[in-house]
Amino acid sequence: MAAPGLRAQMDSLLLQLLRDLEELEAKRAALNARVEEGWFSLSKARYAMGAKSVGPLQYASRMEPQVCVYTSEAQDGLQKVWVVRASAQTPEEVGPREAALRRRKGLSRTPEPESSPAPRDPLNWFGILVPHSLRHAQASFREGLQLAADMASLQIRIDWGQSQLRGLQEKLKQLEPQSA
Amino acid sequence: MLEGAEFYFNVDHGYLEGLVRGCKASLLTQQDYINLVQCETLEDVKIHLQTTDYGNFLANETNPLTVSKIDTEMRKKLCREFEYFRNHSLEPLSTFFTYMTCSYMIDNVILLMNGALQKKSVKEILVKCHPLGRFTEMEAVNIAETPSDLFNAVLVETPLAPFFQDCMSENTLDELNIELLRNKLYKSYLEAFYKFCKNHGDVTAEIMCPILEFEADRRAFIITLNSFGTELSKDDRETLYPTCGKLYPEGLRLLAQAEDFDQMRRVAEHYGVYKPLFEAVGDGSGGKTLEDVFYEHEVQMNVLAFNRQFHYGVFYAYAKLKEQEMRNIVWIAECISQRHRTKINSYIPIL
Repeated sequence: MAAPGLRAQMDSLLLQLLRDLEELEAKRAALNARVEEGWFSLSKARYAMGAKSVGPLQYASRMEPQVCVYTSEAQDGLQKVWVVRASAQTPEEVGPREAALRRRKGLSRTPEPESSPAPRDPLNWFGILVPHSLRHAQASFREGLQLAADMASLQIRIDWGQSQLRGLQEKLKQLEPQSA
Repeated sequence: MLEGAEFYFNVDHGYLEGLVRGCKASLLTQQDYINLVQCETLEDVKIHLQTTDYGNFLANETNPLTVSKIDTEMRKKLCREFEYFRNHSLEPLSTFFTYMTCSYMIDNVILLMNGALQKKSVKEILVKCHPLGRFTEMEAVNIAETPSDLFNAVLVETPLAPFFQDCMSENTLDELNIELLRNKLYKSYLEAFYKFCKNHGDVTAEIMCPILEFEADRRAFIITLNSFGTELSKDDRETLYPTCGKLYPEGLRLLAQAEDFDQMRRVAEHYGVYKPLFEAVGDGSGGKTLEDVFYEHEVQMNVLAFNRQFHYGVFYAYAKLKEQEMRNIVWIAECISQRHRTKINSYIPIL
């Protein structure tokens, strides 16, 4: 009979859904905690450095992102969300160019036409010698980013799980009146 | 200089000393801080501050009130008081006041240079510059590309000119070089200020020299602490240490070789003043940071400055105590606005 099989499927799907929801709640709480920690560490940095030294004056209105979001299809057709560091392009022609670079060292610095400059650490917007609270803030926000990506993947899975469950319920309804 | 300031100090500076002591008496008390800590919103903070000497300083602020606005208005108030003192001062107190403003000028110059690096408009940054460090050539700072440019084109007529001797170079001002410039300027400034106070002699030297020595040593410790894990080399680091403190010369040499906090602590243990400070530092995120401990020590020294009469140190001490008060209020306001009240009592009361 198809119905018990369907019911078993529904049960396992429901359990998976509930597990995912629990994980999502935990990740959400962790994200909130990280973000709060990050902002609080920024306040501590402001206490040590001066209130105007850590604020909108220190960053440009247009920024190069350090981290990119990618999506990929997993085997079960679900999309997964990744957070990936935007790394600098590896210069393939470093060999023959080195001699040119060495020659230039003695002269005044001319801006080199690089294809993509190494991404600068946003920590350096606030200076080189920054207090540790600022580094903590950066670490907290970075962890929060990873959590946000995980939460997005989980959310996609939960939505998919819900639609699957609804589909199975429909099928079950169709089967029940037939068997009755 | 003849000793015996009590004979002639009041002729030129008595009025201002009386005034600054009155201002010091109106700093926030422990009860004021207790009231502030119990506030729920920034509007409550504004209401409580109205009952203090701050009065209606936030009356013209439009909604919504932010911590940044509170800080800006407090700075303006301090600037008004300071300008009054400065306008009524005679030499050598006027030179003393000029020295006091140089540190804010250095901060403003660095703020403008960083803004130029981030392609911000000059007007946007000028609004946020510290009012005490205002000088006429400020708007032109962002056109300079190298420190020598900066000196020759912009700052040669300002009081900052004599501090540029070690900073002249043709390197373009990127983040590392701006940081090096900031610290080298500050080092020259501190050493010049120290020499000025020492040459003045009398009670001013007795009060100001220990304060400036502590400032020099504190900068050396903080530069070392913040340079761990950065691209700053040990030799570069050593050139940034001011030499007018107790750590000079052996302590600074040892500090330049330190690679972590424990090595720094071992250097500090050689000095009777700094050993207890480092012992008070909590480890991890629980206890006090080194900066907190240094701020507390600074507040103690500045409060003690008011126990002697007939010296210029009272003006410096008042400005620094007022700054600590502003830091306290900003800290409490941030804790309230972020609803993160666990550390709200980490301010330093000025007793």
